[in-house]
Amino acid sequence: MLCMHNISKVYRTDSVETHALREFSLTVDEGEFVSVTGPSGSGKTTFLNIAGLLEEFTNGKYELDGNDVSRLNDRDRSRVRNEKIGFIFQSFNLIPELDIYDNVDVPLRYRGMKAAERKQRIGRVIEMVGLASRMHHLPSQLSGGQQQRVAIARALAGEPRFLLADEPTGNLDSAMASSVMELLTEINNSGTTIIMVTHEATLARRAGRNISVRDGRVNSGPAMHIAAATA
Amino acid sequence: MIRYYIKLGALSIRKNPVLSALMVAAIAIGISACMTILNINYVMSGNPIPHRSDVLFHVQLDSWDPNQSADDGGLTEPPNQVTYLDGTALVKARKARRQVLSYQSSRVVQPADRDLRPFEVNARSTTADFFPMFDAPFLYGRGWDQAADDNLEQVVVLGADVNERIFGGENSVGRTVMMNDDVYRVVGVLDDWSLVPRFYDVTTQAFNEVEELFFPFSVSVAKEVGGSGNTNCWKPWDEAGWSAFLNSECVWMQMWVELHGADEEQDYMAFLDAYVESQKAIGRFPRPANNRLNNVMEWMADQEVVADDVQVLLGLAILFLIVCLLNTIGLLLAKIMRRSGDISLRRALGASRNAIFSQYIVEAGVIGFCGGILGIGLTWLGLRGIEVLYRQYEFVENLVRMDWVMILAAVALAIISALGAALYPTWRACRIHPAAQLKTL
Amino acid sequence: MEIGPIWRALMRNKTAYVLIALQIAVTMAIMVNAVAIIQERNRLMARPSGVDELNIFHLESVSFAVDFDRAAAIAEDLEAIRAMPGVVDAVASNTVPLRNGGWSSSVATDPGEDVDGTGVAIYFTDDHGLDTYGLNLIAGENFAPTDIGWYGLSSTRWPSSGIISREAAATLFPDTPVPEIVGKTIYINSNDDIRIVGIVERLQAAWKSWDGVERSMLVPAFLEGSGTRYVIRTEPGYRDELMPQVEQKLAEINDGRIIRDMMTMDETRARAYHEDAAMIKLLVFIVSLLTAITALGIVGLASFSVARRTRQIGTRRALGASRPAILRYFMLENFMVSSVGIVAGGVLAVAMNIWLVQTFELTPIAWYIIPVAMIALWLVGQAAVFGPARRASMVPPAVATRSV
Repeated sequence: MLCMHNISKVYRTDSVETHALREFSLTVDEGEFVSVTGPSGSGKTTFLNIAGLLEEFTNGKYELDGNDVSRLNDRDRSRVRNEKIGFIFQSFNLIPELDIYDNVDVPLRYRGMKAAERKQRIGRVIEMVGLASRMHHLPSQLSGGQQQRVAIARALAGEPRFLLADEPTGNLDSAMASSVMELLTEINNSGTTIIMVTHEATLARRAGRNISVRDGRVNSGPAMHIAAATA
Repeated sequence: MIRYYIKLGALSIRKNPVLSALMVAAIAIGISACMTILNINYVMSGNPIPHRSDVLFHVQLDSWDPNQSADDGGLTEPPNQVTYLDGTALVKARKARRQVLSYQSSRVVQPADRDLRPFEVNARSTTADFFPMFDAPFLYGRGWDQAADDNLEQVVVLGADVNERIFGGENSVGRTVMMNDDVYRVVGVLDDWSLVPRFYDVTTQAFNEVEELFFPFSVSVAKEVGGSGNTNCWKPWDEAGWSAFLNSECVWMQMWVELHGADEEQDYMAFLDAYVESQKAIGRFPRPANNRLNNVMEWMADQEVVADDVQVLLGLAILFLIVCLLNTIGLLLAKIMRRSGDISLRRALGASRNAIFSQYIVEAGVIGFCGGILGIGLTWLGLRGIEVLYRQYEFVENLVRMDWVMILAAVALAIISALGAALYPTWRACRIHPAAQLKTL
Repeated sequence: MEIGPIWRALMRNKTAYVLIALQIAVTMAIMVNAVAIIQERNRLMARPSGVDELNIFHLESVSFAVDFDRAAAIAEDLEAIRAMPGVVDAVASNTVPLRNGGWSSSVATDPGEDVDGTGVAIYFTDDHGLDTYGLNLIAGENFAPTDIGWYGLSSTRWPSSGIISREAAATLFPDTPVPEIVGKTIYINSNDDIRIVGIVERLQAAWKSWDGVERSMLVPAFLEGSGTRYVIRTEPGYRDELMPQVEQKLAEINDGRIIRDMMTMDETRARAYHEDAAMIKLLVFIVSLLTAITALGIVGLASFSVARRTRQIGTRRALGASRPAILRYFMLENFMVSSVGIVAGGVLAVAMNIWLVQTFELTPIAWYIIPVAMIALWLVGQAAVFGPARRASMVPPAVATRSV
């Protein structure tokens, strides 16, 4: 479903050239739960941004569902993000002035969906993450774990091709982290592809497959072995 | 601590030069709009003769039409001038400490120097008490006395400009001037005399300059010199001629008396009432008695000397200031919210809410002060603009002078406004939790 | 269009927006009323005086010689002036329209001291008056040369005929058609009768703010007194060169008087309306400055508001908002805030106008000014927010994944 082939990303300033990703290749099939791990500075954030079409890359090819999304213009990229990718951020990134309902609503609005259908989808995903009773609360009135669940609901509302999670439990205590990971596993079990970027080995173990990144490259070595070394 | 806060404030201003400049500019512009109009308002409604304004009283008698009041049925006010009959009778009675009867007239001065052509001047025909009552400033000589009035002496007091024009500014006391083919002897020369407004006669234009020369009322009447101000008559007179005019019910002159203290006021009022009664007995004064004694400021208020336009502009200027202050509040809020990390840190390090409040209020005060200083400059510009716009009115140069009161008022208004605008943003600053923003540092 | 969520978000973090809305409201109120005042002044200034302003000038002759023979002087002066080439006609009068000085008197349709009268401005003139002022006689006829007398302290009664303006006629005889008013009698000074021999279309009085400014009466007499105002009408184009010529000629004829205060009718009008013209300029300046300040305020607060929400913008982009979508969001948000301010401003403007009408007798504003001002402020607001909104749209989506 997702195929990144020899992606490289170079940041150029006046004097310095930084290779954030070098010949990075990754294929993800539908229904997989893939974790991408690596130490800080390894390029996993860059991978995340590129995978999520948040940044452009210097060389290589990126295909989603058979379509080359490498060199799209801003409008098309936005549309792909909206329709095919569901983001989950480390700091939740909920809009503080909007209640839960309106937060989940945001991506659906950009799809130009009609009100009735939006309402139905929002209701369904909020129910799915178990926060139906808090539909009109503000993010500030929820715990960290609950906020992340809302973010997950928001990501799911558009029925994306895959979820892209960036340290989803990074800002949560262990109890909340557990419950969020359970939710993600549940979602993956019901067929949604998940790509999760994390530096925590314990989380990475929950995924079906682990890719390790070091110095901008995919580390070819037993995943578990590397993960343990960086834990 | 205040000095520390001032230092912090100055540092903060330097760190955000654009934002601070915008705030200072917003305050300065708002203040200058207000101060420009306030200045004009202040001068227009100012006391032209502060040390004597309580003892000078304008006299009004209601000698008007029984069928309609002098102000055309509005508030049933008595006429704003007096008749020759009444004025001379009151002056002759000498019941007040001093009294003056005068009117604006026009004379043609014929300089002895053949090279100088005759020219017209604004003159005032007045009784002798005019000069001491209104504290006229003399450069040379003095006014004339009661005897000169009684004896119809042809004397004249020249204004500084006319003296300059005819005699080159020298001490011309004792020399003669020809006016309208008559010879007058100079007894005094006035210094520059600026009365804003020219309170003793506001019937035509309150802010006109003081007249260019003065000569005795009795002489003026004897020579049948009419008034060049307003002459209003409600009753036709049967015969023709100057005497008939003098004995008519036309009002065309201004009467002022000098009274010190409430007792003298009451006594004079009683005298006026008695006089009117006696006139009623011979068939005059058909309207109910409506005698008035207004001191200078009361008379100015009654005559509404501050132009309507000025008042409208004042209202607009205040609203303008409000907009500028709303702007400032917004900018301050933005600035403080941007500095919330700094505030959090200070709170974490032990600053109390009061300390934060004081710090930012002082900073606002500094900005206000800068805005006030800039505002003074902008006000000066504004007044120059007014001067250019209204240049047709010669008196406008009096209205656009800033004195120390106005300058200090500008700075005070700026600081107060800045402090007022800062109240809400500063209060918001105090509510920032000590540790809330630390992560974002 | 995300009107609902934008509104709900606004409501939860009102302060900055309330400030903008208030600024816009006050600006709107000031703008509307300033325009109302400007319109009023323009209307006043546009009123024609009824005389041939382009070609008229006037001057005052003030006598000082004790043996000055007024009648002879006036006759001599008028003959000389009227004979000069380029002069259409001239009269010896007391004033011209808009000069802010002159005569007025109360006239009534019945004699008697207790009869309510109507104030009219008085113009003393001879049979050359109509041609000199350039008046349009719409009924009746001019004075005959034999009608002309003198009026002043030595008179026992007013002249017995008069020519009045249409407005004066309509006020005195409201139910009579204009042509029938000719021949009627009115009374001045309680009992002096004046027969109306003619009616002119328009002749303004000397006082522009007087409510009787359109009511005038010409009387066939020369005015006694030491000052005479000569009014001279020239052929088109001759006025400026004739002015010094006339002044000189009069000085030559008689040196027992001075010539002063010579002015064109144009300048008289400019002087009369000087303060109105100045007020208009001031108001335009104030409104422009105010709009600029409000616009800058919007730019400032919008910039701050955008900067504060960078992460949110990045997140929205990540969730699929294109750049134009982000631009539209901020434009729409500003539009909504402006609308609140503009509507509130409209209400405030009307309230202020009512107060101005009551206190200063302003004319109430024309209704269409409010929608025009609304549109203007909407445009200003949108233009002001465009810069910050565009900057917002350029926030890269990758901001969403940056660590806190």
